[in-house]
Amino acid sequence: MPILSVRGLSIEYRTRRGPIHAVRDVSFDLEQGETLAIIGESGSGKTTLAVGLVRLSPRSARITGGQIVYDSGRERVAVLELDSEELRRFRWAECAMVFQAALSAFNPVITIWEHFFDTGRAHGMHDRHRVHDRARELLHLVHLDPDRILSAYAHELSGGMRQRVLIAMALLLDPRIVILDEPTTALDILTQRAIIDLLRELRRKLHFATIFISHDLSMAAELADRMLTMYAGRIVERAGVDDLFYRPRHPYSIGLLRAVPRVSGALGSVASIPGSPPDLIRLPRGCTYYPRCPFHVDDCRESDPPLLPVDTPGHEAACIRWEAVAARIGSAAKPVAEKLA
Amino acid sequence: MTTIAAPARRELALPGPVSAVIEFLRVLSRKPVGLAGLFGVVFFLALAYLAPLVVPLQDRVDVTAIYSAPSFGHPLGTDYQGRDVLNQIVYGGQDIITTAILAALFSTLIAITFGAIAATLGGRADVLILAITDVALTIPQLVLLIVIAAIFRPTSFISLAIILALLQWPALLRQIRAQVLSLKERDFVEAARSLDLGLLHIVFREMLPNMRSYIAINFIIAMTYAIYAQAAIMFLGLVPLSGKSWAIMLYFAYNQGALFFKDSFFYLMGPIMAIALFQLSLVWLASGLEDVFNPRLRS
Amino acid sequence: MATLIELDGVSRRYATPGGTITAVDDVSLALAAGDALCIVGESGCGKTTTGRMLAGLLRPTSGRLFFEGRDVWRTKGDDLARFRRAVQIVHQDPYASLNPSRTIAQTLAAPLGKHKKLHGRGARAAMIALLERVGLTPAEDLLVKYPHQLSGGQRQRVSIARALTVDPRVIVADEAVSMVDVSIRISLLDLLHSLSREFHVATVLITHDLAVARYFARGGRIAVMYLGRVVELAETESLVADPAHPYAVALIAAIPEADPTITRTKEHVTLRSAEVPSLLALPSGCTFHPRCPLSEAGLCDVVVPALEDLPGGRSVACHVAVRERRPAAELLGVR
Repeated sequence: MPILSVRGLSIEYRTRRGPIHAVRDVSFDLEQGETLAIIGESGSGKTTLAVGLVRLSPRSARITGGQIVYDSGRERVAVLELDSEELRRFRWAECAMVFQAALSAFNPVITIWEHFFDTGRAHGMHDRHRVHDRARELLHLVHLDPDRILSAYAHELSGGMRQRVLIAMALLLDPRIVILDEPTTALDILTQRAIIDLLRELRRKLHFATIFISHDLSMAAELADRMLTMYAGRIVERAGVDDLFYRPRHPYSIGLLRAVPRVSGALGSVASIPGSPPDLIRLPRGCTYYPRCPFHVDDCRESDPPLLPVDTPGHEAACIRWEAVAARIGSAAKPVAEKLA
Repeated sequence: MTTIAAPARRELALPGPVSAVIEFLRVLSRKPVGLAGLFGVVFFLALAYLAPLVVPLQDRVDVTAIYSAPSFGHPLGTDYQGRDVLNQIVYGGQDIITTAILAALFSTLIAITFGAIAATLGGRADVLILAITDVALTIPQLVLLIVIAAIFRPTSFISLAIILALLQWPALLRQIRAQVLSLKERDFVEAARSLDLGLLHIVFREMLPNMRSYIAINFIIAMTYAIYAQAAIMFLGLVPLSGKSWAIMLYFAYNQGALFFKDSFFYLMGPIMAIALFQLSLVWLASGLEDVFNPRLRS
Repeated sequence: MATLIELDGVSRRYATPGGTITAVDDVSLALAAGDALCIVGESGCGKTTTGRMLAGLLRPTSGRLFFEGRDVWRTKGDDLARFRRAVQIVHQDPYASLNPSRTIAQTLAAPLGKHKKLHGRGARAAMIALLERVGLTPAEDLLVKYPHQLSGGQRQRVSIARALTVDPRVIVADEAVSMVDVSIRISLLDLLHSLSREFHVATVLITHDLAVARYFARGGRIAVMYLGRVVELAETESLVADPAHPYAVALIAAIPEADPTITRTKEHVTLRSAEVPSLLALPSGCTFHPRCPLSEAGLCDVVVPALEDLPGGRSVACHVAVRERRPAAELLGVR
């Protein structure tokens, strides 16, 4: 039984030119304890989707269809039907979100302890001592010194420390789902490494499920169990992490993988994706990736294909040409850029 | 969000200035307040500069019609000598508005020139200009204005405009200097330096165009200050009161004791409303201009 | 090949309320025409400051900048103007590097008119040729656009075209791809790379991303900076495959890779401290010694290591690696 199940979710932004179809008919399941990575270019809809899951979307956004069902273990909750009080409880106690640890994620005039206390109080933890004990415990868990951190202000901490604090705060009410939005962007390499290792350790100890949004494929390779590729608001490929990296079946996934050079191993055939993403207000007919796709045929212009099962189990791609892609890429456990070299 | 560059739209070939005006109105029309401001300003400018060419001056004293209420013959009533208030409003706009425009022009020129010099040269020039500005800023303006007006007794609107301008430049100068300082650090200005395009190019082509909205809005705000300042010193009777002006109307209304007559309500309201509505139009126009100068909102 | 541009022992210090900060300390780098060099390092390592000094936009507190053998900060007038044009910078932020109130045509026309005396039809033809050279087609449509009508990648291309208007000999690209979408970074790097081939321009890319550095500087060199100093300078492939400085080893080992098997089996280096020292209180001796697993008391915390040559055309500023004549990757048992 999946802990979170999304069906046919669509989200639009209203603009002067017309609605932006930022998320279109997205369905997926998140299993207990697993890490699901959503990858895609900026504008692919991955952040809109993540924010929409906890209904933190900006005012101009509107959920135009679909449903989100959360299974708390005791009952099944329709997230889109929660009232604001229930939603607040859901947001932190069941499903917490960790944003990029920019300074703006913190209130500059209150201490980290007050951030913890405010968060706890807003979600029904009124006992100061309980929040304090829990905060200390969590800061230990993210390898920070509670005595020093709790009395500090956000600007006194380094970027890596701030990210750890945000992670600790997200865990305050023991959520079963943690959504991470670009958790290591803007951090230095060594700090980034430490955060990745920390996330892996926390997941092992606390068994929460993670949805992880990043444009950084290497982070996904490191942390994810399963992957979703998004393009122009839709999921175009769904696969286990090894399948996606070694046996992608959607040309857009291949494009993304080839666009990222590596430090170790052979460089292979590295290349950018030609062209640019479609206008999400006036979407083209047929497959939205068609104009940029090296595998396209005339039929691709006819209709936007649904997710189709491909040659590996538990793996789907929204491409009528997946067999041609499979023939070109093959099934060996080697990176795509090397195979295409 | 990136979109594929659409091919340039074919448009009717209109002469540059005409299409510029159309574009100006198109962007301004997105902000109703700005459009209302524009209409107000155009209305008052037409009233002040065009209406006197059409409407004959009526300054015949009529003791039978002192402080009469609005009527068909006198839409805004009459004054303490039975003269038509509307006619005085029509004739009283030109001087006060011309003076305001000139004062705003002079003060803006001073502020841009010295603000830009201070920011681009830096060093001692900056320190000196800032010191003078700060001194000028600390002097209570209205008091200084009263003293200057009392000493010099400006007779032409140009001399009055210069006096007003000399009081208004400091605040704008500080803002222009801050703008130039921040623009100076921008990447595209650094690129222009790297391309060796010269100081004049950098100041006039790279920096000033990015301050247009700022300058235009400040110009309008400076006009509103100049109008209030004129109203104040004229009301106090500190300038030779020849000619006609909304402010002079107020002076006479006060001196003739109109304040103590119940009947004089409409006489008093005439110039007060003229000044207030014109000021409001200016402020609204200024707020609408913000959008006009934003290149993102142009087609 | 003859040296085109050279930083000779430059340092840059800033006075701050907390004391003097040494952003760059005694850095020397030299490039010949057509060279590709990447300067990599984490935030605060001084890579951007070094790049700005190389581009002549920032005057070193000490040390010298040579261009074609001449001491740039001692030249004046026409010579200085010629140097300015010969070295162009491509900025990081595509949203700040073009003037928002000028069309692409206006942006490109100014340098063409001033330095090449191209106006009217001649300037237009030159602009179209430049835009096509940087891969922006149809160029005619772009000329009338304002920067906000272009995507980030397109703006970076326009920035490069603008730099090309003055026939530069050196291009310094400061994190020029870090703010554009992952999917188009490679094509921008390819464009910069092709300039060094085609026009023999020396290109310097400043980046925090070692994978980007490896791709861009293939066939060229990478300089790794840490807290204001160059700690290693080597040919690209030998640097990423077999780093000689312990900091470079730790950095490369820490990078996650877009390959699940490699990234899960990569050996990481455990540093003695995770804390990056403040620029206000730099450690004595080698600035990396408080974190370095190879650090030797009495040596590394006392003597500042000079950049010395190791076999294989690499230079490293590490007492231990130089003494052992072996790269630190081997000493640390990584790879």
